[in-house]
Amino acid sequence: MDTDVLIIGAGPAGIVAAIETASKGLNVTIIDESNLLGGQLRQQTQMLQSLPSPYQSMRGFELAQDLTNQLTQFPIRYLLEHRIIGIYANGSLGITDELNVFPIMAKKIIVATGATENAISFPKWTLPGIMTIGAAQTLVNRDFVIPGKSAVIVGSTDFAMDIIHQLIDVGINIKGIIEQQPTIQAREMKKVNELYDIGLPFYVNASIKEARGIGEVKEVDIQLQDRVFTEYVDLVLVDGGRSPILDLFYQLNCSFGFGDKLGGWVPSYNQSFQTSVNDVFIAGNATGISVHGALLITGKIAATSVCEELEVLSREEAEKQSAELWKELESREYTDVFQERIKHIESYKSPMLKNQFIS
Amino acid sequence: MHIENHPVLGKQLQKPVTVYFNNQPLLAYKQQTVAAALIANGIKKLGESRKLVQSRGLFCSRGRCCSCYMTIDGENHVRSCMTKVKDGMQIYQSLGDPEIRSDENGY
Repeated sequence: MDTDVLIIGAGPAGIVAAIETASKGLNVTIIDESNLLGGQLRQQTQMLQSLPSPYQSMRGFELAQDLTNQLTQFPIRYLLEHRIIGIYANGSLGITDELNVFPIMAKKIIVATGATENAISFPKWTLPGIMTIGAAQTLVNRDFVIPGKSAVIVGSTDFAMDIIHQLIDVGINIKGIIEQQPTIQAREMKKVNELYDIGLPFYVNASIKEARGIGEVKEVDIQLQDRVFTEYVDLVLVDGGRSPILDLFYQLNCSFGFGDKLGGWVPSYNQSFQTSVNDVFIAGNATGISVHGALLITGKIAATSVCEELEVLSREEAEKQSAELWKELESREYTDVFQERIKHIESYKSPMLKNQFIS
Repeated sequence: MHIENHPVLGKQLQKPVTVYFNNQPLLAYKQQTVAAALIANGIKKLGESRKLVQSRGLFCSRGRCCSCYMTIDGENHVRSCMTKVKDGMQIYQSLGDPEIRSDENGY
């Protein structure tokens, strides 16, 4: 099987990249492990702010639907419920549908594998009922299941604040938000203040000392600076921030840099969103954790670069388009994240990690 | 508990199916994953760890952490967060190591 462009990951960045490349007449294949397009957007019921034009402010699942509808205009090949499990010596990718394995040879690859939530460990953190906050959101908004009656939240990012509102709306009793740092990590203070106003306790300089329960979590000891107290909960939701998913970049032999504000280790890329491997491009949260608007723009920039390399877009046009997109990216993204992204790009030629193949 | 009427998405649970956990019938809905359907029925312990035999449940719900392995329709170590329910599905906790050297596996 041959394709001009293989897009790995059908979340917002991957879909935008597919629309951009397919609209220029390229032959596009998009692969995702899930059975649906849209990635993690599908269970985002909060309003997404700062989406780039022409998008209005809308809820995450609505954006997923909007993007998916745009895709139907183009003859794209979909490989849903498929995964990449390796690379052949000739550069083709090995794809599996969990039963058979077959190769795909792509002229250009755009990897948009997104991000994964980080765990926070404490004694007995593996007890059932302790899960990532994103897992609880998925249960509520995608599977329509209440994960528990009462919960404590460990961590306080913006992502958590959005989800806490959604959990309260389905009747889950939030007993407290536990933050290890001296300040709440969320930047959108409006959502934090709304939670303050309904009397939700925030504990800073705090952590979980231990969780207990037989077969599932029943209680947690919460360590404050001056005391320890016990809460009785059947749900502990950890919000350890998110990091780029790197497995495939290792397999493709890409180089890496490190950026704390980007989510940790990040594949090296230049301003064309080209990785250290010539034909491999990168988009979305894999380029560094950012807001939804920024993810869409990175998908567009990567697609523009691919269109230029495959000569369906002139160099001039591509450069102009790219410059405008970079300007928009700067205006949509938090300043410190954007600055770290620029720093990451500047270190493209001197990556921190090379030849780290693991499989 | 199933969410009959979601505050944003409304009434989405339309197609009920029956799945069996340890041979006991449970109500689930077509769009749910196995892990979600079990949690809706109050079952959080999906298996035990191999070495220290500690309880394990859903953790990431994205198919990455492998905490939710179960035995589904006779197949061991299936990620229950990535598997959709089907009517009549037989589900068991993942307890201990599976028997690999069996006739059906060619040993």
